[in-house]
Amino acid sequence: MPKQKYLCIQRSQSGKSEKPSPAQMEEMYAKFHAWKEKFQKNIVDMGGKLGSGKVVTSEGATDGPFVEAKEVVGGFMIVSAESLEEAMEVVRESPGVVMPGSSVEVREIHTP
Amino acid sequence: MSTPKLVEHFFRHEYARLVATLSRRVGVQYIEDVEDAVQSALMTALETWTIAGLPDNPPAWLFRVAHNNLMGELRRRTGRRRILEQNVKEHIGTLENGPEIFLAGEVEDDLLRMLFVCCDEAIPVESQLVLALKTLCGFEIREIALRLFASEANVYKRLGRARSRLRKLRLYPGKLTGKHYSSRLPVVHKILYLVFTEGYLSSQSEMAIRRELCDEAIRLATILAEHPAGQTPETFALLALMHLHAARMTARQDSSGALLLLEEQERALWDQQRIQVGLEWLAKSAKGDGFSRYHAEAGIAAEHCLAPSFRETRWNKVVECYALLERIAPSAIHKLNRAVAVAEWQGPAEGLAILKGFEPPTWLAGSYLWAAVLADLHRRCGNVHTANRYRDVACKLAPTPAVKELLQRRLQIGLPGGSLNLDKLESGVNRG
Repeated sequence: MPKQKYLCIQRSQSGKSEKPSPAQMEEMYAKFHAWKEKFQKNIVDMGGKLGSGKVVTSEGATDGPFVEAKEVVGGFMIVSAESLEEAMEVVRESPGVVMPGSSVEVREIHTP
Repeated sequence: MSTPKLVEHFFRHEYARLVATLSRRVGVQYIEDVEDAVQSALMTALETWTIAGLPDNPPAWLFRVAHNNLMGELRRRTGRRRILEQNVKEHIGTLENGPEIFLAGEVEDDLLRMLFVCCDEAIPVESQLVLALKTLCGFEIREIALRLFASEANVYKRLGRARSRLRKLRLYPGKLTGKHYSSRLPVVHKILYLVFTEGYLSSQSEMAIRRELCDEAIRLATILAEHPAGQTPETFALLALMHLHAARMTARQDSSGALLLLEEQERALWDQQRIQVGLEWLAKSAKGDGFSRYHAEAGIAAEHCLAPSFRETRWNKVVECYALLERIAPSAIHKLNRAVAVAEWQGPAEGLAILKGFEPPTWLAGSYLWAAVLADLHRRCGNVHTANRYRDVACKLAPTPAVKELLQRRLQIGLPGGSLNLDKLESGVNRG
């Protein structure tokens, strides 16, 4: 497994998106399946979806700025790669990015 | 952390199964809530399974989530809590008795009940068709529109009509009685037949997606044939006719996707195994003294499947079946088909004689089939002028470019021999 780890933050447009039909879900599942197989060695942690939460500051806690945001952070995962380019390639082919209006931010994780 | 593959059409078929099972528990008046609950359970599954892998028993997992979604929604929405609680106790059962539905046969029972629910007498047939495609096959409105060559608005309207009827019914599918089953069986046959023909009449590019309709019709008809409520000679004949037609499907087009006449088809491409299955059902259908239109149509399809070549087809038998079909289900299209078969058996003049003096109803007169058959028979009789006239009409009325191309190819004057034997289902056009 490549050494360097990257945090991938998935964002999507808040608001309505058309619900996929069962046939489309089957297609999505198959695509995801194929992607996971292909990049098995790069996927460190499939992460998950992020629920609601609060923002803690020195002044206390608020409901967080993300409620207002047009783009919502929907989920995260951790991949390993030799370079940022490779990590981006893994992400680019991920079915999650292909959906219109969504994006993934890829950030290197520096560990001492 | 692998994501194992699911069986083909898992999502669509689970959708149908869950809608059927949950509708039995809460009643069909809640069908839209049931559908929403199932849809969102499938979404949750998609998200969870891709990350965490498949659970031990995916159908049971889905049932649990869909059941909870539905209960939550019904509780949230209704003010008449007590009435609902009663419903819940009486019909939905608790989560603990959920897994009982996975006992063998139960699932099929639910699907079958739902099929009979869709065929309620008060729902117009075009709405029954859409309702069946939605609830029993798991297709979405836009997918149905694509497959039926209808607009989404039209499909939506047809579905709306069916749903409003179901709401009024307040029916618990589990309470359908034997009387319901037997009185609705002919409608069930008709709907399955329609689902099949919609797929079979496809051409060219839409072939693959519409072929699914044939597969769905066969799937549901098989469930019907294995259930006591559906074990009649008509069901077996219907299933025979589906298999015998499906066996020849891939040979109906050449490599460029253009439609081929029966005469031009490569018989080696016919699916012999499927023909065998079709013939077995046909043999089963021969019990009792009932002889339905499905028997006649399966008989015709069997003759084609068994003929070693176009020329060696037992046209007298085909003609006989068409005559029977005309008697059981009088329709001008059957007369037209009989004329085509007679032309093969005894010559084009004899074929024309059948149609002589016959005034076709407007739906047939306005269809390319009528003009195409007359053009072909006149051409073969040497009546060039009349043949040309009908040919022009036929080409103008051709529903798709593929059909037009086929007509132009076949109806050219001066081509030797050959006949216009369109490989089609007998009453495919008879729905206008």
